Amino acid sequence: MKFNDLLLGLLVLLGGIAIYVSALGFTDIPGQDYGAGTMPRAVAVFASLLGLFMIVKALLAGLRIPGLELAPWLRSRRSVLSVVVALALVVFYIVAAPSIGFVPASLVVMAVLMLTLKTKPLTAIAVSVLACVVIQQAFGRLLLVPLPRSEFLGFLW
Amino acid sequence: MSILAEAFALVFQPYVLMVILSAAAFGMFVGAIPGLTATMATALLVPVTFFMDPVPAIAAIVTATAMAIFAGDIPGTLLRMPGTPASAAYVEDAYKMTRSGRAEEALGASLVFSAIGGIFGTIVLVTAAPMLAEVALKFSSFEYFWLVVLGLSCAVFVSPGSVSRGMISLIIGLFAATIGIDNPAGQPRYTFGNVELLAGVQFIPAMIGLFAVSEVLRFVASGAETPAVEKGGRTGVFAKQWTNLKRYPVQAMRGSVTGTAIGALPGAGADIAAWISYAISKKFSKQPQKFGTGHVEGLVEAGASNNGAVSGAWIPALVFGIPGDSITAIVIGVLYIKGLNPGPTIFINQPQLIYAVFIVFFLANVIMLPMGWIAIKAARTILSIPARILMPIILMFCIVGSFAINNSPFGITLMVVFGVIGFLMEENDIPIAPAILGLVLGPMLEQNFVTSMIKADGSFLAFFERPIAAGLGLFTIAIWCIPLVMLLLRRGRGRSGGKPSAGASDRIGG
Repeated sequence: MKFNDLLLGLLVLLGGIAIYVSALGFTDIPGQDYGAGTMPRAVAVFASLLGLFMIVKALLAGLRIPGLELAPWLRSRRSVLSVVVALALVVFYIVAAPSIGFVPASLVVMAVLMLTLKTKPLTAIAVSVLACVVIQQAFGRLLLVPLPRSEFLGFLW
Repeated sequence: MSILAEAFALVFQPYVLMVILSAAAFGMFVGAIPGLTATMATALLVPVTFFMDPVPAIAAIVTATAMAIFAGDIPGTLLRMPGTPASAAYVEDAYKMTRSGRAEEALGASLVFSAIGGIFGTIVLVTAAPMLAEVALKFSSFEYFWLVVLGLSCAVFVSPGSVSRGMISLIIGLFAATIGIDNPAGQPRYTFGNVELLAGVQFIPAMIGLFAVSEVLRFVASGAETPAVEKGGRTGVFAKQWTNLKRYPVQAMRGSVTGTAIGALPGAGADIAAWISYAISKKFSKQPQKFGTGHVEGLVEAGASNNGAVSGAWIPALVFGIPGDSITAIVIGVLYIKGLNPGPTIFINQPQLIYAVFIVFFLANVIMLPMGWIAIKAARTILSIPARILMPIILMFCIVGSFAINNSPFGITLMVVFGVIGFLMEENDIPIAPAILGLVLGPMLEQNFVTSMIKADGSFLAFFERPIAAGLGLFTIAIWCIPLVMLLLRRGRGRSGGKPSAGASDRIGG
């Protein structure tokens, strides 16, 4: 997903304005003219000026329509699916790990992503199991990170 | 002397040495895989160092980055795919050497001159840092304000691609830094009622997202496979290096000096150092026509340069708390987490720690030679691990690493959000380094800016009243003017019948 310079400039300008407006509500240090709003306002002014500059430059270069160019991967259904799967797997981990535990959740994340990337099923499962145990032992046992446990796999901890 | 003895005692412990060795192996591995950068090696290492004492933690990062920068040359040489951006400058020469059966000579040159550059940079670090710290003790908020602005400006102006895009990246980082309650008025900003955001954007998950998750997503989207490795012949790794050193002593020295100096500049790191050194080498070479055809000269100079930069970048990081590149930006985050506030006072309060860091630097650059030899010999095996198996494992490491910082799933959410941001940024040629510097330096910029404004009663002139502040301020403004001057120069040349102004007018550097 590639924005052209005009659209990018517009987005930066709008972002700058949004930050500026939102920063108007921040309070100052009592008795001073500066406070929580100073920095966001400075960033906002910087962003707005940059946005304007980019818009003018794009217009001078002959661009008229804010546009979006689709990257090659967006035209391949496979690639789009892979990206969606990868992101969905992270969300799955966040949601599922606390209830089903680290080991099953991470196994699913790695094995499914490997299969999506066309790894042979046997290799994918074998490597995932190995990696999962190594990570669990390294972080859970050695570094004492409280990875979510599963009842039936308590012996690993 | 007792401080030095203490420092040695801190480093020469079996545990620390083991950490150094493992970090070296890890750095070699990550650096050798195309697409996985030295910064990513650091990002993945941080959650582990989180559980260590300061010395082993820093030792792990120093060793892993030095190794990764060298190891980035391996896929560059064998596959024509630079493992890290710092290796991109001389990839043509290295690959052509491989095609003419001189792969081991090329990699040997990278290795030996990387070590030379690294050791030179370390010597400069050891001598310059304490001296600069003396000066830095006298700095007030005005000097720090300009230093931060200088660092951020350099990060924008030297980033590959256009300056406008570097600025967008910086704005993203600075904005992310304003989130949370840690600001002059102590008011929650942009937290949307989320309790975890009150503490601000956690640095480590954000960085893992920007550098590692974005890379995983890019691989998943492209579905690219690693190409077959060139054979490259067996000429011996170290066999020709003595000849090379005798033939190109000036180049090795010049590369080390340039690299260290560029590294020491806040905001500019190994990538830029390598490009500039390669260009310098070509300009002053007796055989410039041979560059790009498998000539070892540029490799010598730029190879020394990028590792010199790795050491040089630590100078501003330790002395001022201002990172020299994205790796030291991560290091500064780690130091803060460990309760060590980088800055001149660290030289007074914990000198043994600083000396321990120096010793680690020497060790890392010395250990590089045998480890590098092993890596070169094992390169074909490392490179044959398919990315489709590696990337899911890396994604899992990212998840666990982001979780481990606060033991909270919110870290994973932040990681994936920043992963998508990083992915979109790269799709639009927006560099990531300025965003990371903005995120790290944002709070420091805000604090020094607001303090200075209150002290100066709103007058901008006060920012130029102290001599060092004035010098830094003028230098910073001069850097801002570079694109303008370049534009005018190009226009002038265009009018006088030279080359017409081609390409984006605000494009500089690599």
